[in-house]
Formats: sequence, C-alpha cells, structure tokens
Amino acid sequence: MARIVIDQVRKSYGALHVLKDFSLDIADGEFVVLVGPSGCGKSTMLKILAGLEEASGGTIRIGGRDVTDLAPGDRDIAMVFQNYALYPHLTVAANMGFGLKMRGTPADVITRRVQEAARILDVEHLLERRPRQLSGGQRQRVALGRAIVREPAAFLMDEPLSNLDAKLRVHMRAEIGALHQRLGVTTIYVTHDQIEAMTMANRIVIMKDGEIQQIADPETMFERPANLFVAGFIGSPGMNFLSARAQGGTTRLFGEAVPVPPGADGDVTIGLRPEHIEAGPGAVTFMARPSLVESLGSEKYIYFEAPDDNRPPGFLKQSEEDQRGSRLIARLVNAGPVRIGENVTLSFDPARLHVFDPATGKAIR
Amino acid sequence: MAGGRFSLDLARPSRQHWLGYILLAPAVLLIAAIIVYPLIVSVDLSFQNVGIARLDQPRRPFTTANYERLFTSPDFWNACWVTLKLIVVVTSACFILGLGTALLVNNRFKGRSVARLLVAMPWAVPEVIAVVIFAWIFDSSFGLMNWVFLSLGLIDKTINWFSDPDAAFAVVATTMIWKGYPFVSIMSLAGLQSIPEDYYAAARVDGASALQRLRYITLPCLMPVIGVTTVLVMLWIFRDFSIIYVLTGGGPLKATQTLSIMTYEQAFSFFRMGYASAIGVVTLVICVIAAKLTMRRAPDNL
Repeated sequence: MARIVIDQVRKSYGALHVLKDFSLDIADGEFVVLVGPSGCGKSTMLKILAGLEEASGGTIRIGGRDVTDLAPGDRDIAMVFQNYALYPHLTVAANMGFGLKMRGTPADVITRRVQEAARILDVEHLLERRPRQLSGGQRQRVALGRAIVREPAAFLMDEPLSNLDAKLRVHMRAEIGALHQRLGVTTIYVTHDQIEAMTMANRIVIMKDGEIQQIADPETMFERPANLFVAGFIGSPGMNFLSARAQGGTTRLFGEAVPVPPGADGDVTIGLRPEHIEAGPGAVTFMARPSLVESLGSEKYIYFEAPDDNRPPGFLKQSEEDQRGSRLIARLVNAGPVRIGENVTLSFDPARLHVFDPATGKAIR
Repeated sequence: MAGGRFSLDLARPSRQHWLGYILLAPAVLLIAAIIVYPLIVSVDLSFQNVGIARLDQPRRPFTTANYERLFTSPDFWNACWVTLKLIVVVTSACFILGLGTALLVNNRFKGRSVARLLVAMPWAVPEVIAVVIFAWIFDSSFGLMNWVFLSLGLIDKTINWFSDPDAAFAVVATTMIWKGYPFVSIMSLAGLQSIPEDYYAAARVDGASALQRLRYITLPCLMPVIGVTTVLVMLWIFRDFSIIYVLTGGGPLKATQTLSIMTYEQAFSFFRMGYASAIGVVTLVICVIAAKLTMRRAPDNL
C-alpha cells in the first residue's frame, strides 16, 4: 500500500507527443480511473507506471521511492491485463503463484497465499485447471488472483473488463469495487468506458490527446465538468449542446429568456443533460416535436430537433459513438405516452445549465 | 435434373462431403501409387530371399531368414548405433543453434530482415552442393579447417578427416547440423511470433528475469512447435542419404554407416534386396515408434 506521485511525466515518439506533462498525486488506498477515448495516452501512462515503457521525462514515486528507472519487477506493483495474459501451459494455481515463485518465495508460502487469494475470489475449485478450460469471467478472477497474491503496493489494471460480455462486466465491476474496499490497495484502472469510471472510481482522470482534461471525483465530474470534452464524455446519453448569445446575464433558449452566469458574454455553448429535461411545464418550458422515441421501459429517450436559433455549433465534436448533429435528447422518467410527430411539453431548470466558452471549450461559472 | 445429364450439384446439403472426397482423390491415389504400393512390395520382399527384385518373377517362398540374419549381424547394430549417435548429436545441436538464432533475430534491431535471411540461408543451398563445399573445407591437404586449427595452435599436424572414424563422424555431423539448423530456426521463429507480448509484460511485472522468461514462458509456449520440429528433424536424419554418401560413403570402417546407407549398400552394391528390404522395414518401425514417442510428449506440455 502506498501513495503514488506522478510528476510531469512525458512520452514522445520523435515529434509525436503521446503524453504531455502528466502529473497526479494518488493517495494511499485510492481507486483512480484513467479514462478517455482510444489514443488519449491512458494505456501509455499505465505502461510507464508499470515500467514496461520508458518515460521521456518526469518522475514517478511509489511509496516515497523513486521508481522512474526501476525494472517492472522491482516496483512492487501488480498488473491485470486486458486479455488476462494467463500462461496457457500452467495451472491456475501455478499462474497465480508465478510472481511469488520468480521472487524465490518458499513453496509452502506460495501455496498458502494462492489458497487465500483463491478463497477471496471464489476460484478454489479451479486451481488445478488450465486457463483454456475456464470461462471469461473465471479467467478474469484468476488474473485478479495473480495480482493479489503478490500483496503489492499498487494494482494497475488495463481495461480488465473489456473482453467480458455486458452482464458479466457489470458483475465483475462490482466485484473489483468490493475487492478494493476489502484490500484497500491503491489501484489505478484504465478504461475507455465512462460508466466503469463513474461507478468504480474515487477519482477520475479524463484524458484526451495525451493531456489531462480534468481530475475530479465522479460527482464533480458529472455536476461541474471543466470543459466541453469532459461534459460530452461523461454521462449517457451524452450532454446536449446548444449555441446561444449571452448578454447581461441572460440568453435565449427555445425562444425563452434564461439566466446564465454573469461571466458569460457574447457567443456561448450551453450544455443541458438529457436527464435534466423533464416532461410537463417547469422553470423554463418549451414545446418539442419528437422525431424518434426510444422506450427502455423505465425511461424514454425523446429525440427532437434543436430550434434554429440554438443549433449546436458545427465544430463541436462529441465522442465518436455519439454523433447526433443538431438532434437533442431528453431522458424522461415516468412520462406518459409520447408519440413521434406529436408535440410534447418539456421543461428544464436553468440552474442545471452548463455554460462553455465556444472558443476555448472551458466552462464559465 | 435441369442442368442436363452430367450436372452434379455439389451444393446440395446431402452431397456436401462429396467435394471433399473429390479433392482428396488425386493425392490419395498418388500416395497409394508411389508410397503405399512400394511399401507393401518391400514388406513382401523382406520375407523372401531375393537378389535383384523383379516384378515379373514369381514370388519366392516365405522366409524370415532376412530378419534372423539382420538381428544377429554386427553391421546392423553398428548402423543403429551410428544412427542414434547422429540423431542425438545433430538434433540437439540443431536445436541449440536454431533456437538461439531464432531468439536473436526475433529481437528488433537494424538489419533484422537481412539477419533472418542469413540464418535461413543454408536451408536454401542444395544438399549436394553444401556437401561438396564441406568436403573441400575438411580436405586433409588443402582444407580450410586444418589451416584454421593449425593457425590457432589446436593441432600440430593435419587431421586426416576422412580416414579417422571419429573425425569422419564429426565431419558428417557438422555438415548435417549446418544444413539442418535453419529449419529449426524458421519453425521456432514462427512459434516465437505467436507468443503474445502480454505474457512477457506480465512476467516482467512479476519480476521474472530474462532467463526465467525463457525458461517459464518462451520454451513452454514453443513446446508444440518444438515437438513437431523434433520429429521432422529426426526423420530427416534417419532418411538423409546424400550428405553421408557424398562425404564418406558410410566409411571409414562403417563409422558413418547409418541405416539408410546400409540399406542402399545392401540393395544396390551387394544386390541383396530382400535383406535390404528387411532393414528398410525395421527402420520404418523404429521411425514410427520414435515419432509416436516424441509427439505424445509435446501436447502434454500445453
């Protein structure tokens, strides 16, 4: 167990900077999730932390010890890989005890610690099997087991759930969370899935193009995104964006006057989360004509066009799977029947609005 | 049928397996004609007292004399011993060299593709040409090897490579190793490239040294490839004829006479084809047993 201090770590291949001045102070026992789209540098950071790749600059301290140029095996860390990296020729028990064996731990100690870890992860009955005889979820547990038998100062996890099917992923997510609660070992977890980040993390680090966008706990990340990228990345479905002109603390949205923070002046981008739009009249009420209605049973997603005056800016790139042009989404819980093409009354609370500077993308508060 | 009298609709579910048989037929027929039939003939011959085998002659009476003679002949046991020695020496040296070079050229470095080509080169040289080159290298009067050994001060008078039994065996083994290791290298390299990078990353995080990674990851992951390759190299040594025949002809004093050389000599120098067939059949049986034993071990490791 240890505090990890990453100070201005950089990585570049020639002129290509894949990681720019990454600094992060991780408290002992904290669960930190690095999240971002592919190519944002999160996996590179983890590999540098593990010692599998060399940093171009900066320092890393684990438990007060400078490990920047230490071999992976000397850093007192354990890593869980995306495809588990279980050795096919070894039994589950031998896989889990491999790290201890390499360190010359006596055989009886290895057996005891493997048994202990197997009990925690509920894989005791699988110890004599080979990895290929296991299901995906079982392999995942064994991979976790291999990490915990070492009793390291920190766990590094590289998208450990992305090879599992959706249901199992939710289950293992909860298990990893519980395991962290139980062991209290500092954990750094890399994922591209914002839901994993939101559900598991004590603190989230959102990255894009090798740069940290925001470091915050999940609540803050959701409530007070620092910029447009974070606002669009966190939340599902993603935040709606509208463009507007602000003057003297007000702007016009859906034809209504809406108060905005005094710092906003001139062109602004307004963010409004789908779940903050409600059915029926409210503080700011407007009519919308749904072009698509998706019912998930407990809730409905209503798709409708943004008014002409508030068309979202064209330059605004949302995450790739979430390209929806000028369409807005409202996420309604317990709404009555909604039909395509029939006007519905919707409303929102202006206090829920997020205001961004369209030039810099930064939040205006 | 709509397509005319000769249309054969192989796409029908009930005929799906036909295409397989049709495609297999030429190969099966060819193998039957050039391998299975001669095999049966030679098994048959081995139980007859035949000088020069002729298919238009009537069968000679059944006898086990060839086998009785074979198992009591010191020449046969000598050939077995020479073959075994060659297999052990050449196979292990081929594996040390082949694996070593494969591990080397599996690293990333400048000129890697050239290095890979050079490693594989001996494989591309025709066997007889390689043998002639080695015969020159080991020539007792003008050969390179004697000069090198003399210059290094390892010997004080030239070695007569082809008249000393031990030296002749060494020459044959060296030539076979040179010719045989690239195959092991190529196979191992293919095997190495199929080992996921993550295994090594995980092992490094687990604190395994380079040697431990070789011992606990690389070698076990290569076991299937090594198993198959061992069998193929072994069978190659069993059947190889040209290297030994051109270099030493089996001599001196039968020091390099393997089972295949002995078979050839009995059949085509002494025209004892029944006897030669018996040697061939015994060789076949040994090969099958050796291959079985080697192959059975490999899958257990994975």
